[in-house]
Amino acid sequence: MATGFFTDTTICIGCKACEVACKQWNELPSDGFEFSGDSYDNTGSLSGTTWRHVSFVEQLSPEPAGAEDRWLMMSDVCKHCTHAGCMEACPTGAIIRNEFNNVFVQPDICNGCGYCVVSCPFGVVDLIAKVNEPRHADYNDATLNQEREHTSQTALQGSGGVAAKCTLCYDRQKIGMVPACAKACPTESIQFGEIEELRERASKRVEALQERGLPAYLYGAGNEGSVGDLNAFFLLIDKPEAYNLPAEPVLPSTRQPAGYVSAALTAALLTLLGLAVFKGAK
Amino acid sequence: MADVLPGGEPTKTTYYGRPLLKRPHWDRTVTIYLFLGGIMGGSAILTLLADGEAAGERRLARNGKYASFLLSVVAPGILVTHLGRPERFHHMMRVVKVKSPMSLGVWGLIAFSTIAAPNAVAEAARNGHAPRWLSAVGPRWLNLPMALLGAFIMSYTGVLLSATAIPLWAKGKYHIPAMSVCSALAGACALHSLLLARSSAPETLTRLAKMGVFASLAEVVIVENFRHYAGEFGKPMFEGALGQRFRNLTLLAGSVAPLVLNGTSILKNRANQREHSVSRTLVSAALTLIGGYVLRETLIEAGKLSADDPTVSSRQPR
Ligand code: SF4
Ligand code: SF4
Ligand code: SF4
Repeated sequence: MATGFFTDTTICIGCKACEVACKQWNELPSDGFEFSGDSYDNTGSLSGTTWRHVSFVEQLSPEPAGAEDRWLMMSDVCKHCTHAGCMEACPTGAIIRNEFNNVFVQPDICNGCGYCVVSCPFGVVDLIAKVNEPRHADYNDATLNQEREHTSQTALQGSGGVAAKCTLCYDRQKIGMVPACAKACPTESIQFGEIEELRERASKRVEALQERGLPAYLYGAGNEGSVGDLNAFFLLIDKPEAYNLPAEPVLPSTRQPAGYVSAALTAALLTLLGLAVFKGAK
Repeated sequence: MADVLPGGEPTKTTYYGRPLLKRPHWDRTVTIYLFLGGIMGGSAILTLLADGEAAGERRLARNGKYASFLLSVVAPGILVTHLGRPERFHHMMRVVKVKSPMSLGVWGLIAFSTIAAPNAVAEAARNGHAPRWLSAVGPRWLNLPMALLGAFIMSYTGVLLSATAIPLWAKGKYHIPAMSVCSALAGACALHSLLLARSSAPETLTRLAKMGVFASLAEVVIVENFRHYAGEFGKPMFEGALGQRFRNLTLLAGSVAPLVLNGTSILKNRANQREHSVSRTLVSAALTLIGGYVLRETLIEAGKLSADDPTVSSRQPR
């Protein structure tokens, strides 16, 4: 079985309930506050401490003023790729595919090498800073704290310095609960479920929207590219770039054969020249 | 957020110009590792080429074995410090992952030092710095696997960079591994001519100068080819302050100048076998080493700028 998300951006109202719910459930710290000036998006991007991020794509038409203005909102998240660049790159085996077919970073295994960070074609996973003081000193619920320590699933547990991203609420799924972000979403823009069923539902929705004349399509379903299908996929109505998604994501490991061959040829050529240079030395 | 500017020129859609990818977290320690690791691999290759009877080559082989072993301890030691959790460095030894150059690299380093250590000990024994019987632990055939692993270590760092989503590195899947190999070998030749500059080994120094010329020449050709091939992906590396520094320190000072100096040495030595300029050797070697370091630094720093540019991150190089 594989679980995942179908995020229908056409019904997102930009309330950021998912962002907040994720922060709260996973006990992720605040990222500080800064006015970006970019519409209502003061979060900016996904990060090691922000695992859901709501983008606000403000599109103002020049003339006549306001005639075709639109505002696209989209709740972004780790794609839980079928062929995950982060997981292939990880040299410690910290990143695994769990029993729900989600891509999960084991915080107690990761040693913070940072290779997954540059190997994600979507710019999702990131390292979190070291936190040395004990977390939530003022948090009194000893039982809950103990439970969390036991499950060891909070990325910030311990002292940071490791990679972190959406766990697809592994801890909640294990006990049959819906991920916090999907649960909190008041419009059902974020739909959680079994991936096959989500895909069916999504293609029906695309058809319905297309009938109404919207250029709706699914991003990350029926993908021909090396990354494969995304287990968190999206219904979009503009180009992927408008939402800061890559139009053509490529699985980084596919470039390795070319690199090794090129390096081996160069090394062999130089060594042969070296043999000629050192001939007669022996 | 129109796609077309008033002038009619199409712009690339971005999300408020924000980066689409995450920046590499790698800092100077990684640069130093890439630099030293390359010289280590190059030293192993030189050891294989030189291990013969002639006095000068004997000294080169000896230095090559010592350098390979020393660097195989120092370079990974430096690398560990860049980890977010250095005390967990051994978690890399939980798994072997063929698809992860970093994982393969770790195992390559372990194998390399496993061979470099007895090889260096045996060499020390042969030179009277250790009990004589220890010379048996490093038979001469060990040089071959050591050189092969050395070649792998010179190579995998370039593959490691290009097997990422960073547009500049990804675009360089052929070029970056190849230029890393050239720079590593040029650096090893430079280090060993520095070490031998004051000894009377003109023939060995000429051989190192020749090797250095081949490696630097190949490096310049590959870098220049990459400049054309990379197009807009290459901007962070070839333009701006970083590009200027790269051109001055790696291409001009680090490759072209040593080419001229080494070329002069080779020609003069041909005319008179005994003549050999210590200062020319020293200057050329130092410049090559600086150029090699700056190449690695430019690759890492330009990778960060590349990650920041959403216009090249969307259609990722295959
Ligand atoms: S989106 Fe990135 S972090 Fe998430 S599974 Fe895919 S490669 Fe990994
Ligand atoms: S930072 Fe952690 S999770 Fe990411 S590749 Fe390195 S060890 Fe794996
Ligand atoms: S599934 Fe859980 S961890 Fe992932 S974004 Fe939603 S709330 Fe956060």
